[in-house]
Amino acid sequence: MASIAEPVLTATPVVVHRPWWRGKLVQVAGIVALMYVASRMWALEYPWPSSLVWTELPFHLDDFQIWLLDERGKTDQGIVFTVFEAFSNSIDRFVEWFTRFLLWMTWLGTTIAGVALVLRFGGVRAALLTLFAFATFALTGLWEESMQTLALMLVAVALSLIVGIPLGVLAGRSNRFNRAITPVLDAMQIVPAFAYLMPVVILFSIGPAAAVVSTMIYAIPPAIRITALGIRGVPVNTVEAAMSLGSTRGQLLTKVQLPLARRLILLGVNQCILFALSMVVIAGLIGGGGLGAVVTSGLYSNPALALLAGLVIVVMAMTLDRVTEAMADRTDPAKRHLNESGRRRLRLFTLATGAAAVVGIGIAKILGVAATYPDEAGDRVVTLEEWLLTKIQVVLDYIGDPFSFAFSVTQPTGTFIYQHLLQPLQEFLVEGPWFTTVVGLTAIAFVVSGLRPALTTLVMLGLIGCTGVWALSMDTLSQVLVATVIAAAIGISLGVLAAESDVFSKAMRPVNDLLQTLPQLVYIIPFIYLIQVSVVPGIIAGALYAFPVTLRLVERGVRDVPPNSVEAAHAFGASRLQTLVKVKLPLAGDAVMLGVNQAIIMVLAVVVIGGLVGSGGLGYEVAQGLVRGQFGQGVIASFAILTLGIALDRVTQGTRQRRKDVLA
Amino acid sequence: MSIRRIRRGGLTVLGLTLAAVAALTVSGSAFGGAAQSCGTVTINEQSWAGSTANTYVAKYVLEKRLSCKVKLTQVTEGAPYFQAMRDGKVDVALEDWDNTLGAAGQRYIKDKSVRVIGSNGITGVIGWYIPRYLLKQYPAFKTWRGLKGKESVFKSPESGSQGMFLGGDPSYVQKDRALIKELGLDLKHVVAGAEPAQVARWSQLYKQKKPVLFYWYDPQYLNAQYDLVRVQLPKRFKGCLDDEKQSGKHACEYPSYGLDKLVSGKFATSGSPALKFVKKFKWTSTDQNFVANLIAGKKMKPEKAAEQWVKANAKKVNAWLK
Repeated sequence: MASIAEPVLTATPVVVHRPWWRGKLVQVAGIVALMYVASRMWALEYPWPSSLVWTELPFHLDDFQIWLLDERGKTDQGIVFTVFEAFSNSIDRFVEWFTRFLLWMTWLGTTIAGVALVLRFGGVRAALLTLFAFATFALTGLWEESMQTLALMLVAVALSLIVGIPLGVLAGRSNRFNRAITPVLDAMQIVPAFAYLMPVVILFSIGPAAAVVSTMIYAIPPAIRITALGIRGVPVNTVEAAMSLGSTRGQLLTKVQLPLARRLILLGVNQCILFALSMVVIAGLIGGGGLGAVVTSGLYSNPALALLAGLVIVVMAMTLDRVTEAMADRTDPAKRHLNESGRRRLRLFTLATGAAAVVGIGIAKILGVAATYPDEAGDRVVTLEEWLLTKIQVVLDYIGDPFSFAFSVTQPTGTFIYQHLLQPLQEFLVEGPWFTTVVGLTAIAFVVSGLRPALTTLVMLGLIGCTGVWALSMDTLSQVLVATVIAAAIGISLGVLAAESDVFSKAMRPVNDLLQTLPQLVYIIPFIYLIQVSVVPGIIAGALYAFPVTLRLVERGVRDVPPNSVEAAHAFGASRLQTLVKVKLPLAGDAVMLGVNQAIIMVLAVVVIGGLVGSGGLGYEVAQGLVRGQFGQGVIASFAILTLGIALDRVTQGTRQRRKDVLA
Repeated sequence: MSIRRIRRGGLTVLGLTLAAVAALTVSGSAFGGAAQSCGTVTINEQSWAGSTANTYVAKYVLEKRLSCKVKLTQVTEGAPYFQAMRDGKVDVALEDWDNTLGAAGQRYIKDKSVRVIGSNGITGVIGWYIPRYLLKQYPAFKTWRGLKGKESVFKSPESGSQGMFLGGDPSYVQKDRALIKELGLDLKHVVAGAEPAQVARWSQLYKQKKPVLFYWYDPQYLNAQYDLVRVQLPKRFKGCLDDEKQSGKHACEYPSYGLDKLVSGKFATSGSPALKFVKKFKWTSTDQNFVANLIAGKKMKPEKAAEQWVKANAKKVNAWLK
């Protein structure tokens, strides 16, 4: 049915005014105004009533952890723990073996083999990039750590894809399965990693396996989602044609759906890689070692080193991303039409690659090249580590100087954001009567998204209150909202710019990747020095992490505006600006909305990082819960972050159908 | 096992690879002849610089003098590293701030998967600190009573009319909210986040010679760079609590912490010569701050810093090895 309706929808909507949209804005503003009046009238008089709090919950959760520990400690473990242990042992051993193998090949051998492999399957540009990456690992003096992280991440990504792609295919083919799995995926992305570190440690112990599992939890969702999108994006008439020719479901999948969804599935692979690499530091906390460990210990004793290791993580992420993309592109069967001689040539090329790798490793071994790139050869220092560290330190020293020019700008800005944006909002949400907040947010959800989302919002807010973290959650909510507003403002304006200019779009790509993979704890440190209001750096961290997603979605949305609408506007003599404001933006309105929605989710994902740099609220509780062994506290706060996320998602999702259209 | 590995790789070449890897690791660890007798020791390095200092000194001595192979892990302190010890993934931790006394810690102590084997020689102090230059203008700030009525000196954009108290790293022991309340001080407890973030906050104010009051501790290498004074809190009395979550009275100073060395149950019964060394390892907070300052203050590589200290303190080191 949808397939019939869709063409009609895309043909008609052009420059019609959309009273519903304005109407919604007005209604939302009205509700907020009422809430504001109520909160001023009864400020601080109605905090969440303690009779509505389940006070024993944290103790039950603590008991659960203790039970888990006891079960785990028993000598005659149940079948479940035996399975977990076998799994974690084999992953541990495999990652360790893989790391040793990379080191055994020696730094020279690994570089030659890696570059040759990429040259064969990804082309010259990708190979050069790979060479650059290996050079970075070597010259920063972080070769061994890089190899540890590389091995860990390759295993984590491979496992994520092994799990994610089949599930994605399933979700693409079955609506019911898709509906069932969506909330699980939301939870996997929103629940902060800190919350599941302890259960993961109990089940998988410390080490590579635990690191791999934690990484997988965060990296699987994009693989599933985007694969499902790809399968769903296969045109219905193609599927029908294949069916009418007598394809079985299996044939349909392997011959039609998978090949046609190839491009999107590979996008899923890329996103999976980027998400995985953003977990390197977290993995370091539970025995993942490698660069993550350098970052965490560096933060306390040598911030410049932490920053350097962070940049190496970014180089690794971007290289893996670009290389897989290049490989996918070059091996795309739709693009290359090989004849017999072409095939033969390729086969020879493959053989030559293998030979080059083997010879390279062999020579390196014969020459007795060391496993890791040395710091010194003879008496000469052959890495750039010292030089880089001094350069970074110069920047950090400037930032750490309270008399610098930068500080004289950032400090007042930060104070302004705090006093005029955050504090009023915090007062409004934390001090306002709980029932007007609950009713108000539910009403907004109803106006923007409809009845069912409104009911979900109501339930979620109720859950937050009943678990006893209402005030903390409202505190966090105020920060999330401010961060989202900043992220949306940056993301939308840059997204429009990127859609209008290819050059800008290209230039933004590395920036986006940098912000998404550089460990947040690292890039937030300069802001702590620059803005001496502890809540603000956390907000900036959230906004910086979130805006790339908004940017990408808005850019997609604006670019996907049907060209005939744009041409029509031009024909009427609209200027570029007019076309943008009156045609493109309204038509991309849903993409913009989705961008905002995703920004909220991303901001929530880094709330805990905010807690670590002084945002207080739920993030702090989660971080403290992990280390101080207050399991119950950590879980409840994480759960509140999740419920808050679901509620905000429902408030901003708009009606479901529109959202789906944009995604497709 | 070998069959599984080969199948995984799909190539018999990997078998050869493994043999070579094994050969390489053996030759790599062969500093001296006694390699077999010690084996591998895993020490957990905690995030703060002091822990890096004692961990690397121990590593240096174990490797150079006892020919052990030392592996370092960076597992978070508290429950996570206890679990790692129970699983045999971590053998030694050289600086534990009484994590073993908490409910979670007691479980591991009881089932003997974690054992305390004495102090590392350092007494840890936690308290409220101010920069020394403040005492010139406000000599009364030496004790908490002097703060009373003068709280607004510590005012900041976040604390409104109240004074700001900068709280500590979420993972550290603290009870400052309760202290402020029970002492009746007009201070707002502001969470500054993890230690690097908290240091950023107070050091920035210190550089501007502005007033600041914060949670801090010793031994800490920054204490060599910044001249800080501990504010005298009420003396400890019987029944005074240190856990904010417990209801009762908290209005006394923090206890002093004998910093403990921990070993896993497995390592404790292994009979490794490294165990004897770990038992004897002991130094002072001056030693620790010296090495930590080389690493974190002077940005020296931890290995080099450890080497420098060990070479200059041969007598102490030899005592650990007797």
